[in-house]
Amino acid sequence: MKLKLLIMVLIAFAIFTVALFIGPRVINPFSINEIEKEILISIRLPRIIVSVLMGMALGASGAVLQGILRNPLADPYILGISSGAALTAVVGIISGLAFWGTFTIPVLAFIGALITGVFVGAMGWKRGGFWPERLLLAGVGLGFLFSAVLMLIMSISSDQGLRRAILWIFGDLSLADWSVIPYGFVFITAGFVISLSRANALNALILGDELTHSLGFSPRKERFILFVSVGLMTAASVSLGGMIGFIGLLIPHIGRFIIGPDSKILIPVSALGGGILLCIADLIGKSLLSPMELPAGIITAIIGAPYFLYLLRRKDVLRI
Amino acid sequence: MFSGYKNTILEFERVGFSYNRDKPFIKDMSFSLGNGEFVGLLGANGSGKSTILKLASGILKTSDGNINIWGKHIQSYKNKDRAKLLSYLPQILDMQIPFTVKELVSMGMYPYDILPKLTVDEAIEMVGLTDNAESLITNLSAGERRRVYIAMTMVQGAGLVLLDEPLANLDIKYQIELLRLLKKLKEKRDIAVVMALHDINIALQFEKIMLIKEGEILCFGNPETVLTKDLLKKAFDVDVEIIRPSKSRNVGERQDYGEVYIKY
Amino acid sequence: MKKKLKVFYFIFFLSFLPVPFSLFHASYAESFERIISLAPGMTEILFAAGMEDKIVGVTTFCDYPEEAKAKPRIGGMSNPSLEAVVSLKPDIVVMTTDGNPKVFQQRLGSMNIKTFIFKALTLSELPDGIRDMGIALGEKEKFDNLALKIERSTNRFKKTKKTGSTKVLFIIWPGPLIAAGPGTAIDDAINLLGGINIAGDAKSRYPKYSLEEIFHRSPDIIFIGKGHSNMKKISSSFLKRLSHVPAVRNEKVFYVSDSLYRLGPRVVDGIEELAGYLEEKNTEH
Repeated sequence: MKLKLLIMVLIAFAIFTVALFIGPRVINPFSINEIEKEILISIRLPRIIVSVLMGMALGASGAVLQGILRNPLADPYILGISSGAALTAVVGIISGLAFWGTFTIPVLAFIGALITGVFVGAMGWKRGGFWPERLLLAGVGLGFLFSAVLMLIMSISSDQGLRRAILWIFGDLSLADWSVIPYGFVFITAGFVISLSRANALNALILGDELTHSLGFSPRKERFILFVSVGLMTAASVSLGGMIGFIGLLIPHIGRFIIGPDSKILIPVSALGGGILLCIADLIGKSLLSPMELPAGIITAIIGAPYFLYLLRRKDVLRI
Repeated sequence: MFSGYKNTILEFERVGFSYNRDKPFIKDMSFSLGNGEFVGLLGANGSGKSTILKLASGILKTSDGNINIWGKHIQSYKNKDRAKLLSYLPQILDMQIPFTVKELVSMGMYPYDILPKLTVDEAIEMVGLTDNAESLITNLSAGERRRVYIAMTMVQGAGLVLLDEPLANLDIKYQIELLRLLKKLKEKRDIAVVMALHDINIALQFEKIMLIKEGEILCFGNPETVLTKDLLKKAFDVDVEIIRPSKSRNVGERQDYGEVYIKY
Repeated sequence: MKKKLKVFYFIFFLSFLPVPFSLFHASYAESFERIISLAPGMTEILFAAGMEDKIVGVTTFCDYPEEAKAKPRIGGMSNPSLEAVVSLKPDIVVMTTDGNPKVFQQRLGSMNIKTFIFKALTLSELPDGIRDMGIALGEKEKFDNLALKIERSTNRFKKTKKTGSTKVLFIIWPGPLIAAGPGTAIDDAINLLGGINIAGDAKSRYPKYSLEEIFHRSPDIIFIGKGHSNMKKISSSFLKRLSHVPAVRNEKVFYVSDSLYRLGPRVVDGIEELAGYLEEKNTEH
């Protein structure tokens, strides 16, 4: 198992390195001119880091969320967190707010995600704990509300504003620059470390609340901590580059197919898988129709879904 | 075999509990158990067997009275410390998650920061699943899956194992296997086992039986005193006939099945 | 008493007669007195051709000239309200292939409402498009004059066209980065002025443009359209990242009006604006 994980890490680094040097134009790492140096350092490297951070956050939070909600259909977006983020971000994009320069949209998205997270949490809280079904339904309900408001805003906005909003919603990594990375890194790492440190409790929660209790955890407390970690990771991820589909929902399932349901391994593997997939998807998205860029969120689903369906046919286990 | 008197490990002191305020579900219940006891909770559906087990495990909190384990109030333990003393297996265990036997049994180590006394491999061997250690639990039989969870509680090191209807939905072969296993573990590791039952004939295999009706103890004692025509009529509202072949032996030495049975 | 009532009924009936007659009359008249415009560019053309008084409805995006804002609104470009259009009883509805749904024309057709479809997409097609509109609206002279005015101004630049190879990037929005691509009036204007639009080979008219391609293609001039009052602030951090690009290094970044965003009479102003900056650039060399 450790060997598998090590191999995955190596593959990931190989892919990140390759992604750095190929792209719309291949850069020869052994003869780099001034422009290429600038491109590598101020465009490609931050963009790869952002895609990996986002992919990791989504993959890991998908694995955690499917466990705490005990639902194989759960993904970080089902809790409405992303629709909340999209709503505030799109308002900012369409109205052209710029009070913090580059930070404006990420900060708006982060605020929207956090407020939604707290709200969904409050709705799903009853008698001193989270109730998985309540959380899910609160998230779905709120998500519908936010999507409707989002559609309302988009349908009354100008065509140019609408275009920008759509591009952001489908995942826009082109905003990635060094200035946003430290913040994204802090929140995503914090969420990742928290969820990994609660991996045992997550395994127990998958077996049921009563067994969780029997194994020496408080199901309500653990579910709360894990929910917070998911909230941090998802909010940071959405604020870095919009909504990327597929990763949060299906990467954890692919992880389970390959290495089993043990959260201690599944969380890092889902994170790594998410990072790899988003990095590749963004590479394809920016290279395919160069100099035009395609939203990475569309590519992740187009290359990820067929592989998932193939696994679904081959393996007979699909449970959280 | 059961030498001398035992330490009290589980004690109900005038315990009351209700799911909604108006209707008490468990009423003024008191009893105590020592280590190494093998107790069956018998009663009709809705009599309160599961609730008693959930109260004893600390999942539910009492409305009145106290529950002590190893002489201390159960809610005064930290979660992890309590988990090293007692283990509770619910009636419905999710068997669909593709954990391997070893992964699941290893979860018994969760309350420990250091390695527990009994290793995972030993526990798997005790329940006779060494050959299947790497198999997915989804590929095991129902009886084998139950044994996996029992092994988990062994690793947990629990001196008190609470089982809610562990024999339900098992073929008779697996019921016997599981009972034998639990008895063997009880002797070997001096643990107390309390399990909820609904089959009167299975109850005959226990050293002690607690007969429950509407949240109250009708009778708590050895099978001879509990399994009488009158008490069973009271508990289950059916007429039964107790058949004892002449060469009935001492309760403690009774073999599985065949000696005494009850005809409904 | 009964007779009186009969007379009353007769008069009552008569009073309704003029209504259907007038309806009949209107739907067969060929003088287009009530025109609805379904695109901001069309509205600008109509105003420039002096049709102001005949416009009875415009879209919510029609904000130029100022008077257009006072006209009744019929909804957006892609989602105009059929009900609003019909209730304004137009003689003709002016639409464009660029932005209005084709189904909408079919719906109007099925209700016997005349439509004119403006087909011009590029700067060179604009004068003929305007002439066609004039013929369709029965105001040939007014529209021909407008077309001629535009042709004269573009021809002037054609004559002074330089063979320089100034590389130009026209940014519509900095984040996500959207540039003016092929098939836009902006692209036409840049080409007309002898510049090279570095986004001219993109696969879409308003592509989400690759940041690193800007480095590779190193534009000499960057125009940023003032699509928003905050544009300078919005693009400041974006420009900081491009500090190695010649246009930014040499401070050749210009904020220009949105005159070229719509294919209409204002393209003339837009071209002149770009020409001013491009000439300034060329005279330096």
